[in-house]
Amino acid sequence: MRPSPLANPLATVAQIRPSSSQIDNIPSDLEDSVRFAGARLTQAAGILLRLPQEVVAQAIVIFTRFWVGQEGGSLVQFGAEQVSQASLYLATKLSAYPKSAKSVINVYAYLDSFPSTFIDPEELHRKKDPKEYYVSEGTYQTRRDALFKVEQYVLKVLGFQLHVSLPYTLCITYLQALDVFRHPLGRELAKRANAHLNSALLSPQLLYLTHQPSQLATAAIYLAAKEVGVKMPDVDWWEVFDTDREELGFLVVGLLSVESFAMKEKEKWGEARVPMTVDAVEAELQKRSTSSGVE
Amino acid sequence: MAGASRWADEEGDRAEKDRRKKEKEEKKRAKLAKQQAEEEAKARAEQRVQRSDERPSKKRKLSPDGEEDAQPQFGERKLLRFEAPGWGPCRHTSNFETLNHIEEGSYGWVSRAKAISTGEVVALKKIKMDYNQDGFPITALREISILQQARHANIVDLREIVMGNGLDDVVMVMEFIEHDLKTLEEDMFDPFKPSEVKTLLRQLGSAVGFLHENHIMHRDLKTSNILLNNRGQLKLADFGMARHVPPPHAPLTQLVVTLWYRAPELLLGAEDYGPEIDMWSIGCIFGELLSKEPILQGKDEVDELSKIFALCGLPNDKTWPGFYRLPNAKALKIPRDTKSGSVIRSKFTFLTNAGAELLTSLLSLNPAGRPTAKQMLQHPYFTENPRPMPPEMFPSFPSKAGQEKRRKHSPNAPRRGDAPKIGGGELDFSSIFAGREEEQKGAGFQLRIG
Ligand SMILES: Nc1ncnc2c1ncn2[C@@H]1O[C@H](COP(=O)(O)OP(=O)(O)OP(=O)(O)O)[C@@H](O)[C@H]1O
Ligand SMILES: [Mg+2]
Repeated sequence: MRPSPLANPLATVAQIRPSSSQIDNIPSDLEDSVRFAGARLTQAAGILLRLPQEVVAQAIVIFTRFWVGQEGGSLVQFGAEQVSQASLYLATKLSAYPKSAKSVINVYAYLDSFPSTFIDPEELHRKKDPKEYYVSEGTYQTRRDALFKVEQYVLKVLGFQLHVSLPYTLCITYLQALDVFRHPLGRELAKRANAHLNSALLSPQLLYLTHQPSQLATAAIYLAAKEVGVKMPDVDWWEVFDTDREELGFLVVGLLSVESFAMKEKEKWGEARVPMTVDAVEAELQKRSTSSGVE
Repeated sequence: MAGASRWADEEGDRAEKDRRKKEKEEKKRAKLAKQQAEEEAKARAEQRVQRSDERPSKKRKLSPDGEEDAQPQFGERKLLRFEAPGWGPCRHTSNFETLNHIEEGSYGWVSRAKAISTGEVVALKKIKMDYNQDGFPITALREISILQQARHANIVDLREIVMGNGLDDVVMVMEFIEHDLKTLEEDMFDPFKPSEVKTLLRQLGSAVGFLHENHIMHRDLKTSNILLNNRGQLKLADFGMARHVPPPHAPLTQLVVTLWYRAPELLLGAEDYGPEIDMWSIGCIFGELLSKEPILQGKDEVDELSKIFALCGLPNDKTWPGFYRLPNAKALKIPRDTKSGSVIRSKFTFLTNAGAELLTSLLSLNPAGRPTAKQMLQHPYFTENPRPMPPEMFPSFPSKAGQEKRRKHSPNAPRRGDAPKIGGGELDFSSIFAGREEEQKGAGFQLRIG
């Protein structure tokens, strides 16, 4: 495969910053918030659509790629909710679990009914009858047309580069290679590592865009082993998995910071909603400039 | 969610606003371009450093914060590094100048073109946007994504995807290959020589083996989808039907593979078929290369089955366990007493025993009896005399694709629109099997459809 089925196209140094949104004067903290909320929204929609985590992860990586770099999509032009929808739709199309445009649209309508961006995952399913949120035929057609249009924009901006290799299976293989499952805490370790891989998808540092799956898996294992208290081999074992010490250090710090970032975001937005549409972003910018007295 | 509908409603206004914004952006970007170029140059320089990095002694310890290293992000030891391409937005179609049209297929249009900046000749395949309920055509999406990943000496190289002014104007840019086997075969006076057939078959097996290893089925192998350049290199093309082998028991559409190359299990309605269907097609192609014309030219599905049985013999419980459980097998009245075996050996008289044995196994009715692509390549046929002709010794033929529009002779691949919705109640084979009173005549036996 080109060049290896295990490799991902990565963002180049120049691609990471500044982003298209930043050029359009979107404050980078707002961009971080929207990207984070968008990734979480994608995750939530994926859960409701009962998609395997691999498909959801691919969708989140596609979503994240879209905003990166000067030639990426800008929040001035595209709403994060629509890009999330299109990314998820594209990821399911290429998977063995295609979903109709209708179910994707209905799920996003349902998720939009929650008053706050930071939905408790428990609440996702507990809430009322999803059927109540099915959109009308007219609304569906409008939204479907919009979805198809944004889908094409996503393809265009990414140059059709939708290929994502994920670290999940690799992580299990590495754990087996390290003979971790013989340890009484082996399963626990595997679970932690997997959780780290999931949260890394939400990283404001875009870890999935800057590092290869092998490195992500290695860092997740390293961190999980420390947390669970499993002693790893006394050698530089990560090098076996093509990760050097510097990368490992960087990634471990990156993984650890996702949690604190998430906490800060939750605090920052509280019961309010992160702006997920072009109009909402504009309103947010208005609000900021008024409150800071610039205007 | 107001954004969704409003975005669509105010599309016109938005477009104008976008345009102005674009202009503004363009200026900003120009300023940034220099900075970007510098950064890119730096990144490249760093990559070079990384590549030229000598493997240092294993003993050497790095300080954890890497302060002793000028480029802390790159390790001291030579670790495996993937050469991973990045991504960027689609370029515009105007970067290419069309020279001539090659072929109008069912999913796209193919033309020969020149890259304006480099002068390189390429093939452009325009994606046909069938406006349905699914947005960007899923088959095209699969074709692109599979080709992007499938890099192999015998698979056509997809360079990039370009777009025109509209979002619907999507074009695949591929390396240009002078011939396809179908056109060649029609224009050639004599069939390929045995040594040439061997080289072609070996390259085809190598491409298909690679795909299967990566869990991809091509599902439309036929001579018109197999390209050959002037250096005797075969390149597999047209991945419009290709897909990954799905998880077990996920139903697949049987409406794949052009009729004359379609495996019997597909004709009989199997839903959980596998890569063996490609091996059947390879068998058909093998036979075709030898005889200079398709060997199983059925008029319809039933006729195709009869021709298959006439050539390969009739299936029974022993040769193909599970045959009678296939959905359409019940509708077939197969005479059990008739002695009807394979006539492959006697039809391909000029083939060596090894060759006939390989062809017979590829055209095994029972999918389990077909060799895998890997096994095929190990077959003695490839090592016995005459040896495969080295590709560079291949004669070069005048290229039709380079000059003029090609004609079409063989039936098309099944179209997506024709595909029955599995489980949707539309899977009605009555037109094919039921209600047919007449008997299809095969050679030496009769196939009753009732
Ligand atoms: N890279 C290429 N270089 C030269 N000719 C090509 C190339 N790709 C395709 N062609 C020509 O165009 C024809 C059609 O291409 P392809 O099979 O990919 O399109 P399609 O629309 O899927 O066709 P069909 O439905 O008829 O199979 C091929 O048979 C071949 O003759
Ligand atoms: Mg074709």
